[in-house]
Amino acid sequence: MIGLWYEDHAVGQAASLGSHTFTRDEIVAFAQKYDPQPFHLDEAAAAKSIFGGLVASGWHTVSVSMRLLVDGRRGQHQAAAAKGEAPPPLGLGRGVRDLRWTAPVKVGDTIAYSLRVESMREIRRPGWGLIGMRISGVNQGGREVCAFTLFGLAARRSG
Amino acid sequence: MSCTSASPPETDVMDRLYFEDFPPGETAEYGDYAVTAEEIMTFARAFDPQPFHLDEVAARETMAGGLIASGWHSAAIMMRINCDEVFLRSSAQGSPGLDSIDWLKPVKPGDRLSVRRTTIGARPSRSRPEIGLIEMRFELLNQDREVVLRQQGSVLFRRRPDGEAAR
Repeated sequence: MIGLWYEDHAVGQAASLGSHTFTRDEIVAFAQKYDPQPFHLDEAAAAKSIFGGLVASGWHTVSVSMRLLVDGRRGQHQAAAAKGEAPPPLGLGRGVRDLRWTAPVKVGDTIAYSLRVESMREIRRPGWGLIGMRISGVNQGGREVCAFTLFGLAARRSG
Repeated sequence: MSCTSASPPETDVMDRLYFEDFPPGETAEYGDYAVTAEEIMTFARAFDPQPFHLDEVAARETMAGGLIASGWHSAAIMMRINCDEVFLRSSAQGSPGLDSIDWLKPVKPGDRLSVRRTTIGARPSRSRPEIGLIEMRFELLNQDREVVLRQQGSVLFRRRPDGEAAR
């Protein structure tokens, strides 16, 4: 895992975020709340769509990657706290570039997510830097299903 | 994914919107979505459990200064508004991706959100003659008409079948 401070990052660093298996129930529950298009809700309607079957909302597949990213960082925060170190303050996200939904996520698919640091930039705001990381999800067949570059603030040790 | 159904598209919805119904340059505004603290925290517990999305008191000590929605939550809310107002009465067939999402302002409990859509461009699919891509910019506005999220990318729509009258 990559460290939590801005200075702990380096362009090219990569890390696994873990994986998630998408059940029918959670695909439908997410869709009912935020993306109630027929191909996310109902097998019969989905069969008539270009997907040919029920698929997860793309917003669901990228939201799960955020959960895995946050879980990993929380573990690091707790480990730092246990060692008596003050963890860095948390930074907010600024945005996303080049988000691709490259293959559908179907019921029962297991998606393994990973990240790679793509860019680092000092910003005017004192104490913070901007990190760009490419996050991608790959299914059990080795096919990429989603990828995006997330830009977020990371606290600087040097202030 | 690349093979498409041979069955004809459904035409049971009288005002179904097709590729041809989104002329470049067109803008539209719609939706009124009330954001609650409970919904912000519920989304965060599932997908983005950071203190500024989870807990009003803990959020005050963070750079957010108070409870704010996850950026992924605001994107999901915009998707819901788009579904209710546009996609569910259209031939939309998902999206291959987005060029950009910018989280410009925080979304807070009590905000009322609406969407401004601008059609940027339209082109038929090269590989699937029954499909076209519409490039759209979506802006999520709060009750003060501030743009809180801006997103640009393509949505796939079926083309209007031969013989079906224009909307």
